[in-house]
Formats: sequence, structure tokens, C-alpha cells
Amino acid sequence: MTMNNDKILQNLAKICGSRNISQEPKNLKEYSKDLSFLKGKSPLCIVWPSESQDVAKIVKLANDLKFYVIPISLYSKFKHHGDSLPKKDKSVILNLSRMNKVLSIDRKNRVVMVEPGVTFDQLVPILKNKGLRLLLPLNPTASRSVLSTALEREPITIPRYHWDSSDPLLCTEVVFGTGDLFRTGTAAGPGTIKQQQKMGQAQVNPMGPTQFSPYRVIQGAQGSLGVVTWATLKLELLPSIQKVYHLQSENIQDLLDLQYELLKYRLCDELVILNNMNLACLLKHNQQEISELVRNLEKLNLIFVISSRGPLAKDKISYLEGDIDDIRAELGLKFSEPKVEISHKQILQFFSEPCVKPWRIRLRGAYQDILFLTSFEKIPKFISLMEANYKKDFGIYIQPINQGTSYHVEFDLYYDPEDNNNINVIKEKILGVGIQLMDNGAFFSRPYGLWAKEVFFHQSTETINAMKKVKKIFDPNNVLNPGVLCFDD
Amino acid sequence: MDEEEYQKMIKRCVRCSVCKWIPQVQIKSQKYASACPAIDIYNYHPYSGGGKIILALAYEMGRIKPTEELRDIVYKCTVCGNCAVACKYMNTLEPLEIMMKLREKLVGEGCGPMPQQQAYIEAIKKVNNPYNEPHQKRTDWIPNDLNLDPNAKLLYYVGCTSSYRRKEMAIAAGRIMNKAGVPFNILQNDEICCGSPILRTGDTNTYEEILNKNLNTIESKGIETVVFSCAGCYDTFKVDYPLTRKYDFEVKHTVELFDELIESGRLKLTNDVPISVTYHDPCHLGRNAERYEDWDGDVLPLMPLVSINIPPKPKRTGSKGIYDAPRKILKKIPGLKLKEMERIQEYAYCCGAGAGVKSAFPEMALETAKTRIEEAEDSGADIIVSACPFCSTNLQDGIKDKKSNLKYFDISELILMALGLEPEKLKRATEEVVYNNVR
Amino acid sequence: MLDKEILNSFQKIVGNENIDDGEVITNAYAYNWCIEFVNYLENKEPIPFSSIPKAVVLPSTTEEVQKIVQLCNKYGIQFKAQSTGLGPWNQPSTDNCVILDLRRMNKIVKIDVKNLYVVVEPYVSGAQIQVEVMKYGLNIHMPGAGPMASALASHTSMCGPGFTSPQTGHSARNVLGTEWVLPTGEILRLGSLGLKKESDWYSGDGPGPSLRGIMRGWVGTKSGLGVFTRVAMKLFPYPCDAKYIAEGHSPLYDFQIPDFIRAYLLDCRTFKHLEKSFLRIEEEEIAFICSHMSSFAVMAIFSYSLESLMDKIAIGSMKKPLIIVIAARTKREFDYKQKVMDHLMTELNLTNIIGSKYEPESLFYAECLRANLGYHGFIATGGFQSAKGQCDTAALCLNTERKNIPLKQKYIEKGVIANDFAEGAWMTSYESGHYFHMEVPTMFDQTDVESVKGVAEYMEESNQMDLLQHLGVPFFIEGDKMHDEWGPYLMNYHNWLRKIKEKFDPNGVSDSGCYISSKNGGSS
Repeated sequence: MTMNNDKILQNLAKICGSRNISQEPKNLKEYSKDLSFLKGKSPLCIVWPSESQDVAKIVKLANDLKFYVIPISLYSKFKHHGDSLPKKDKSVILNLSRMNKVLSIDRKNRVVMVEPGVTFDQLVPILKNKGLRLLLPLNPTASRSVLSTALEREPITIPRYHWDSSDPLLCTEVVFGTGDLFRTGTAAGPGTIKQQQKMGQAQVNPMGPTQFSPYRVIQGAQGSLGVVTWATLKLELLPSIQKVYHLQSENIQDLLDLQYELLKYRLCDELVILNNMNLACLLKHNQQEISELVRNLEKLNLIFVISSRGPLAKDKISYLEGDIDDIRAELGLKFSEPKVEISHKQILQFFSEPCVKPWRIRLRGAYQDILFLTSFEKIPKFISLMEANYKKDFGIYIQPINQGTSYHVEFDLYYDPEDNNNINVIKEKILGVGIQLMDNGAFFSRPYGLWAKEVFFHQSTETINAMKKVKKIFDPNNVLNPGVLCFDD
Repeated sequence: MDEEEYQKMIKRCVRCSVCKWIPQVQIKSQKYASACPAIDIYNYHPYSGGGKIILALAYEMGRIKPTEELRDIVYKCTVCGNCAVACKYMNTLEPLEIMMKLREKLVGEGCGPMPQQQAYIEAIKKVNNPYNEPHQKRTDWIPNDLNLDPNAKLLYYVGCTSSYRRKEMAIAAGRIMNKAGVPFNILQNDEICCGSPILRTGDTNTYEEILNKNLNTIESKGIETVVFSCAGCYDTFKVDYPLTRKYDFEVKHTVELFDELIESGRLKLTNDVPISVTYHDPCHLGRNAERYEDWDGDVLPLMPLVSINIPPKPKRTGSKGIYDAPRKILKKIPGLKLKEMERIQEYAYCCGAGAGVKSAFPEMALETAKTRIEEAEDSGADIIVSACPFCSTNLQDGIKDKKSNLKYFDISELILMALGLEPEKLKRATEEVVYNNVR
Repeated sequence: MLDKEILNSFQKIVGNENIDDGEVITNAYAYNWCIEFVNYLENKEPIPFSSIPKAVVLPSTTEEVQKIVQLCNKYGIQFKAQSTGLGPWNQPSTDNCVILDLRRMNKIVKIDVKNLYVVVEPYVSGAQIQVEVMKYGLNIHMPGAGPMASALASHTSMCGPGFTSPQTGHSARNVLGTEWVLPTGEILRLGSLGLKKESDWYSGDGPGPSLRGIMRGWVGTKSGLGVFTRVAMKLFPYPCDAKYIAEGHSPLYDFQIPDFIRAYLLDCRTFKHLEKSFLRIEEEEIAFICSHMSSFAVMAIFSYSLESLMDKIAIGSMKKPLIIVIAARTKREFDYKQKVMDHLMTELNLTNIIGSKYEPESLFYAECLRANLGYHGFIATGGFQSAKGQCDTAALCLNTERKNIPLKQKYIEKGVIANDFAEGAWMTSYESGHYFHMEVPTMFDQTDVESVKGVAEYMEESNQMDLLQHLGVPFFIEGDKMHDEWGPYLMNYHNWLRKIKEKFDPNGVSDSGCYISSKNGGSS
């Protein structure tokens, strides 16, 4: 076994240089755990490739020498989903953080091409200078990989720009589990990327090539079908005027009814529903301030932003305001204003900029999230179910996605990472409530952590069988991130 | 359609399926989007208008033989023409004419008409009507007090179905003309079948014999205007006859005549008829009653593959059918509310009876009628009214089979009511029918 | 014809009247649009008839489809599913095939107003869906093929561009939960529809990877990977007042134009300015329709006969037309959009000829709203098909159009395709200008053998040009021969596609003529 390990290490060194491989025990320990409640094994090593060809060679080598590859965009001590913990011996962490170039920004076609190591704090300001913006999830952590966020189908906060569940991901370059390099969408060809660009292409059509769309299969696969080495992502133009609306209610239905109309008619950009706890966590930075703000906020908060740009920016805002007022009058719903002043500037900030540390750890230092998709009418039921089963405070985040055809619902359970009793309670709750939610039709489309396996018990056999077929196609030897999803029996 | 045009046109279907639907911009609901009773019932593509064009081509290419299988598909069609209207919204194909030509060819091969249709053709030859009723009984419908004027220049051509089966319509038509003081005559026992049931089966030889007999009779009497209460007879005389032999007299349907009489004040509709009705456009009074216009233009090659007609060749799109006259009449009846169905005018759904389908495929006729009755029910009206005895029979069969609460009246019967006269049907009707549905 | 035993087996599933293996029905189903030049490309007689299926079957439920597919596996017969059936992609590639005509599966299963989707079976046309969802102020994306085509087929199995794509996107991207009978006979339900408890239609992805990636790409598998029996499709806001009244008679119905709708026809004069204008206008997110087509095509979409096309000289002289239709729900919105258009026209130095040099019939607006503009492509010769079909940036689309001109001109000069000045193209924006596609409608005479050969050769040469000049992948790269030819230039995608076919259709029963077979270098 050791000889084999040595062989692996030697070959890895040939590919990316020994300086880009680490077996430091400290490093290995870091990668064997995260903030989920799952335990991982210690990896064999960490390797930092610098280009796609290296990645392809490494994955090919894994097939030949029978070791496993766990791709991560970059290391973060805040990772908490357990999806990249090694689950088998002879796992090599493929850390793509040194592939961190912003390869191109195309204002005309509103697209950016990035490598996996590009972070939000790296990219957002560059784009801002060019009058562009990324389609962001809710206040992402600065050091997170932009590309991997898109690969995880993390919901974005502007649902009217969420044309498909896969947005903002467009084309990719990917190394499948066989070690084969591939480009998806129009990036596949004909021609190299340069040749395509010479003809005016910008790799903005994610569909294909021809009669399949492998980018969809890689997305959400938690690195178990392919390793993405670059991707193009949709961009939008920066607005010049933004106006924030913040409406509160104790009644979730009222907020849902209003946001439905706003989104249906595409009247606003950012659109979220947060409970007082989550909103406070986004706006404040320490427990005391958060707790105080919680007391001054109603239970549920609908926040949306209307935007415009260009010489007729004011005209647009005016028409949007008018139409929104009409809708509100027609609905006749009553909302309250916050008891304390809430900075709209701060709201815009959390929508448009990343945060240094995850905002969800501000309250207690740690959190676990239960996140799933559902439909409009089931949201109140799920909130009630959660409240019935978890008596402590928790955060609620509801994000309409895919232009309002479904909703991301997230319950954030906050806890002190030093408090073992509390941790045990959370552990028990997270799985128990998760199962109850699943039993009631919550669709856990992104299976993570403790409840990941449970997700597949709630899914039809035909789905599992089909997914296994897909795995067999793109990673027949199961070298990529084994143990995640449903691929291992 | 001549052979040359037929051979060219059968190669042009693009199988877009537009012929299965009413014109796309007229679709108002999923339920009432379809145009073609044949494919609605039988589902296979060859039952559609476009499907029959394909059959014609396959037949010409020798890919299919004249078999019963082919015959049955080709004859399971009421030649309602809805496919042609839909197609010609943008295209220039003639699915109806192609299908008629195909029927002619099958008859020529001895593979048509259907046996039941052949039986009524024999009956027409023998006793001048498809019902095989004694010819002498053709005039039994005439009430004693009906005034006929042997010198009148207006001829009321009653038709077989009104004479033998829907006598109430003939009586109503007669009474209205009497009320308006319009002198008219009938052919009495000189009247024979118009030939429509024969023509629609593709037996053009027998049809032409009938045509010539009829025109000889009418022309010999110095008639200036022939009026019809049957849409089938009307269409045959107006549209089909002139393709074979021209004539000088004018043709009208009773709805056109009655509309004129109302407009001119010769008929005064003063009685309240507080009912809600929906009007069914008979195919042969509506889209099919549009005359062929002579065209003596040139085909100008514009560029390779593209030629245009100079002047533009008239296209029968169903737009010149008789739609306004019956509606104007209904709107003039005091107390009456008109509620339109979704499929009306040139895209009205067929009643299901035409072209010998009622004889050869009674289940198809009935199923189609029931579909139409349901559409009438969905309009919210209590009564369905039309202007064709064949539609009348079939729709009433549909009402009965469906156990619908809807009642059927011919438009002439409603006019009678508005004139303060009692239609025959009501004289025979039960009290329940009378009081629940009309008064 | 089928063997008696096999016929009996099918009859037991669907009933005697819902399967026919007679000469007449099967021959009729062998016919389709454009099969004549497909035949020519396969060195067969250029007639509009494909291989004759053994039978045509009319299932009415998913379970019947499943049983039929299982039978096909048992007896080694291929199947080809079709709905409204327009186009050569509906045809069997061998005579060892049964056609599944899904006409009897025609329900609108669910309109979910609050979750903005509709669930339909295969034989529900776009128009049928639109009229039902309009009642709720909603709209459906309809493909360029027209409102009479099957919406399910477009979303799951065919292409998906549409005239309203600026606001309604592309069919492939509007798919949610999907019910799919795999070639093995398993029923696969995608996404949230696959939940064991409380399944629902709102998501077609996951858990984890999305199997929508296997289901289709830029184009679908055209019955090459099973049968889609139900699909949930996104709904969009109806762009204006949903009152839709067309009075009068065919063809020139008098449409009551809604208050807040307006059309613009601009001549951008050069390719460069067209690209700039297209992108600039679409950035403002105001267009319901935003399409470029040749001046000849513009004349066609405003005409209802070839003769009436001739009196539209004002349009015919345009060099680089751009058609925009804006529509709004409220006056405020409408005023704003008009103001933006005025501003843009000034900025881009463009003039709207509608209202000055030309006024369309009211019916034009009815057809815009009902997505019926594509049908006008048949006006000139009665036959057309689109070459090209690539999709990426505006620049790519216009480069392709420009490079195609001399090639198309060559065939026009041969007299085998109609003369649209070689500029015949249709290009539309997607998702407010995030990407664009273009195709080149090519008018030919399907009854003229030389024309059929000509258009076939033109399309082949056009494909070659796209391949060698890196102009993206056109629509109709399908079938083993083409995939084997293109694959090596596109990351050997064909090998992956073949593996998918192998895994999901081990017995090769889903007709692969318009997809790929699992055997290298040939169809099964």
C-alpha cells in the first residue's frame, strides 16, 4: 500500500511539481473535517494544479493507480456541508485555488470567464469598475469560489434574472472522471476558444453540444462527475439608481402574496424574505447588536429592490414605483415599517458585496442549515413544521428562484461551537426535522451533510438508477469524490 | 379541380397540422380548438385534411391500393371544409377539393361510394330522394292553407330532407313568405334531389345527370329566383352547379330572403321570444357557400421557383359565406339573446351529418353532433338554432343521445314565433317543452 | 405489418382501434415535410416518404406508453414517438419501427398559477395552452414552428427558439418536472416529481446533478431516448391586456389591438450597426419581440399571400431590418418603454417606418401575441427549411449570416432555391439579449427534384462551412453519420452521447435516426 502511495505521490509530482503537493499533517487534518457533523478521512495529500491539463493528467492517473480525487475550488475553514470530506482512504485533495485567473470579462456580451480559484472579493470589484455585476447568492463570503457557488446551484437573489435553475452558470471546461477534458455548451467547438472568439463567440450558450447538456449534469454533482477548470458566468449591468423596500409582517402569506405579484411582473431585482433573525445577522456583526435588532423587527421581512440605469433611470423607477403602488393597493395588505431605522445602504451592501466572514456565524459562531426547494403554497406549512419541532430561534430565508416557479427555503440553526450539549441537540434535530420535511414533500435538491443520504431514500428508484448510469458514464471507476450523493451503494 | 392542378397540389402538403385546428388566432379555449371531426374521433393523421392529401399522393404513386381500408378513411369525412379554411389562412392548398377528387377516383375504380351511400344514390335514381320514400309523398308537407302562386317568379326549392323529414322547416318557410306577401311557387312533383348527397360521394356522373334534370326543369319555368331552406341544396346550386353548367336565375337561402324582408319592413317581428339561443353555422351555408370566381389572369414567374398570379387569384377562404344574415335576423327578434359558440362562421365545427356520413357512419355523425351540442351547451344558451334540415336532424339526434336540455329550432321557426305564429314543432310539442324552453 | 402475435400484444394494451398496421395508415405516416431532401442526402430517391413503420399505435396514458416500450424491448422493434408531427424528425429511420402517435394524450394536467407553470401531455398545442393560461394573465413560450405545434415536443425533444424569446427564453430552459418513459420501459420522473412522497412538478433538477442534461441539449433527442409523456413548463406574464378578439373573416381578421402594444421596424443598415443596436436595445429589457430577418422575410411576415407581399416595397428596400414589438400591462410601463425606444432610436440614429411608411394589418399584432409569425415562411414557395441554427452571441450570428451570403447566392444562381437576396435569416434575442440564435430559412420547391437536391447540397455545404470556419453548431447535427463527422471537432462529444445511448437504451429500441446509436459508425 505504501509503495502504491509513493507511486501516486511521485506521479503527482511529475505532473504539477513537488512544491505543489503537501502532506503536512496540519494541512491533512484541515481537509479531513469541516463544520458539518460528518467525519472525513485523512487525505493522502493535497495537490495544487495550475492548469487544466494538470487536472486531466491527475484524474487519469487516479484511474490508473486507483486513488480518489476530491476537487475543491479552494480551502475554507467555513465549509460546512461535508461534501468534500474524503470518505475513502487514498483520497487526494485537488485544490484548484491556484487556478485563480479571471480569464476574460466581456461587457458587450455580459459574460465573465473564471477559473475555480477566483473569489468573490477578487471578482466583484473588478466587475464593478466595468459597470457589471455578478448574479450573487445572499451576501456570499468573500473568500468563496465564485465558480463553485454557481456549480452548487446556490440560489441568486435576483429571481427575475434566474431564467433557468442553472443560472448564472453558462459554459464550462471540465475534466470528467475518466480524465477526459471536455468543454460544454458552445465552448465545445468547433475550434479552440480563441478560434471561436475570433468568430465572435463568447461561450454564452450553455446548452449542448448538440443533443445533451453536460453542464447540467456536472452542476450539483459535488465534484463527483467532473472537475470544472473554468466556467463562463452570466453578468448583468450595474444599476445607477436603486430603491429598497422593506416590509414587515407576522403573516408569511401576506408577504408571499405580494412578492408573487412583484416577481410575476418582473418589477424588482433583489427579492428575499427573511425572518428577523436572519435579517439582523445580515445587518449587524455581533451577537448583542443582532439580538437587539431582532427585538425591533417583526418576525418576517420582505425586502426587494427596484433598479434602473442610464439616462432614463428615473423614468423607470417612477413607473416601477407606480405599478408597485397599484399592486399593493389592489392587494390591500397591511405591512409595518421597522421600529428602528434600517439602513437601506446596508441592505444594498449585503446584496451587492461579499462579506469577510460568513454572516451566518455572526450570531453564535456556528450554524447548520436545512435547505430545500418547495412550492409557493407549502412554505407556511414548512415554517410551522419547523417551529413545532425546533423551539429555539432559527433563521429563515426564503428565496424565490427560477423566476418564481419554486422557492428555496432555508432554516439556519445557530449554535455555539463550544457548546457540546447544544451541538448534540442540533445534530438530532437537523436530521429528524429534515426527515419530517422530506416526508411532507420538501425537495432537498442539494443533498448535503447529515441528511444527504436520507434525501435519496425519499427519491424514486428510477431516479437513483438513472443517476448511477450517469456516474458510470462520466466516472466509471468512481474516482471523483466517492461517497457523495447516491453513487455508492 | 382539374387533373393537372391536382397532381401538383398533392405534392405540397408540409404536414404542419394546421388543418386540424381552427385558425390559430381564433382559438379561445383548449376544448374548442379543433376543426376536424374525423381526426377528432379517429385520431390517425390520415383522417385530417392534410392526411388525405398524403393519401392522394400515396395513391397516385401506387404506394397504396384502392382498398376498403382506404375507402373507409376517405369517406369518414363530412367534407365540411374546415381544413381548407385553416390551411388557406396562409397557404394555397385545397384539401377539400383534393379529397373530393380522390373520391371521384375511387368511384372510378369501383372503390366507392360506401354501400350505404350507393343505396341512397339508387333511391335517388328510383324515387328522386335519398330516403327511398315514394316520390308522390314529396308534397305531403304542404298545409292546406299555404298560398302558392303558380305565376310566381320566385321558386321555393324545398329539398328532400325538408320534404320528407323536417317538414316543420318547409312549413315555416312557406308561412313566412305568405306572411310577408311574397308570392312563391314550388316544383311540386317536378322537384327531385339537388344531387348534393351524390356529389359529395364522388359519383360525379350521376350527379351531373341530376344537375341537368334540375336545371332543365327550372329554366323551363322562367324562374328568376330560387330560394332554399336547405343549406346543402343551396350550396350545390350556388357553388357546384355553375362549375358544370351556368344558369341565369338568382339563388338565395331563406335566411337571406327573410333578412331582406325584415330590413324592408315587409316582415315585422313584434312578438317577444324571450329565449337565449346559439347559432350553428351550417357548413354549406357558411364556408362552403362561397362561389368560385373566374380568374383569367397570368402566372408570372418572378424568379426561379417563385411565380405569382397577376392579378391575384381569388382564394376561397370561407369569408363570403352567409354569416351575417341569420345573426341579423336573430338580433331583430324581440327578447331573444344570441350567445355565440367559440367556433363560428367560417371556422364553425361541423354538425357531423354531411357527405353521406350519416348514412355510412352513423356513429361518427352522432359523435360529432354531440361534440357540437356540448359546445352549444357551454355557450350558455338554452336553444341551438340553425338553417339547414340536415344539421337539424343530426343535431337533434345528438341532443337526444346526450340527453341534453338544449332544444333545437330552425331559424324559420323562431321567426314564426316572432311573427306571432306557432311553429309545427310546438304544435306537436309536449307541455313541458313548450313552457320550460320557449315561453 | 406486424406479426399476428405482436399485433395482439399491442392490441391488448391500447385496444384494437388504437393500433393499425395496415398499408394505408402506415404509408400515410411515412410522409413528412423535408423527407425528400433527407432521402437525397442518404442516397435514396428524393421522395417525401421515409421508411414505412410496421404500425402506428395510439396510446392514451403513460402506463400504456410504458407497456408499449416494454413490448418493443421484448420483440426487438424500435419505436418513434411523435405529437403534432411536423418535420422529418418524426420519421422512423428503419421499417422495423412502430410510430407512437401521442394524439390521445392531450390533457392540460395542471395550471399552477402561483408557481407559474403548466403541466401538459404531448398533444396540447401551444395555442391551446396559451388561451387557457391567458385567463390568468400568463403566457407560454412557443417555438418558431408555430402555435399549432406540440409544446411538450418543443420543450423536451426538438429545438426551442421562438419569436418571443427575449421575454420567454428557450424551450429547453423552461422545463421543470418531467415524466419520461425511458427506452428500458422505466418511468423516470425528474426532480421534485421523483419524490416518493408528495411529488410535485416545480423542479426538474436533482437531487444533485440534473438529469435534464441527459434529456436534451441545444436540441432534443427527437425520440431517440424514450418518450416524454408529461412536462411542466414555465409560464411568463402575458405581455399586455389578455383580451384577444379577432373579428371578421379569414384570412384578414380584424384584431382588436390591445392598448399597450407597439411595433417598430428599423433599418440598421449594416451588420455592425445591427449588432450594436440589437445589443443596446436588448440591454434595456423592454422588447417582447426583437428579431432580425431579411427584408424579404419582413415583407413575408406582414403578408398573407405571395401577391400581397409585392406591395411592400417600403420594407423590401431595407438593408438590415430589426423588428421590435413592445407590450405593457400598464400605461406607465408602456409610456416608459416608448420613451426608451425613442431615446434609443435617437442614440442609434434609427427610424421607425411603422406609422410613417408602413402600417401593418391589425392581424400582425394578433400573430405576434400568438407566435404565428414563422408560418409566413411558407408563403413564397410553399416549402422551406432552415439551414444553420447556431446560438451564442449576436456577433457570431451576424458573422455567420454574412459569411453565408456568397454560399447561398451560389445556389440561388443555380436556380434551386428561391432568391431572398441571400440574406434570408432569422435571428432572435434570448433573455433580454444574453444570447442570440440565427437560422437561415431557405425556400425551395419540394415538388421539384432539382430544387430538393439543391437545398440538400446547400445545407451540407453550409454545415461544412460552419464546421471549418468555427461558426458554431447548426441545429440539425443528428444521426450517426453527422455525429461521427462533427464529434472529433467538438471534444469528441459523440462518444459521450453514444455512452448515454448505450446505458439508457441498451436494446436500441428508441429510434436513433435523429439521435445517435450506441454502435460506432452506424445506426442500429
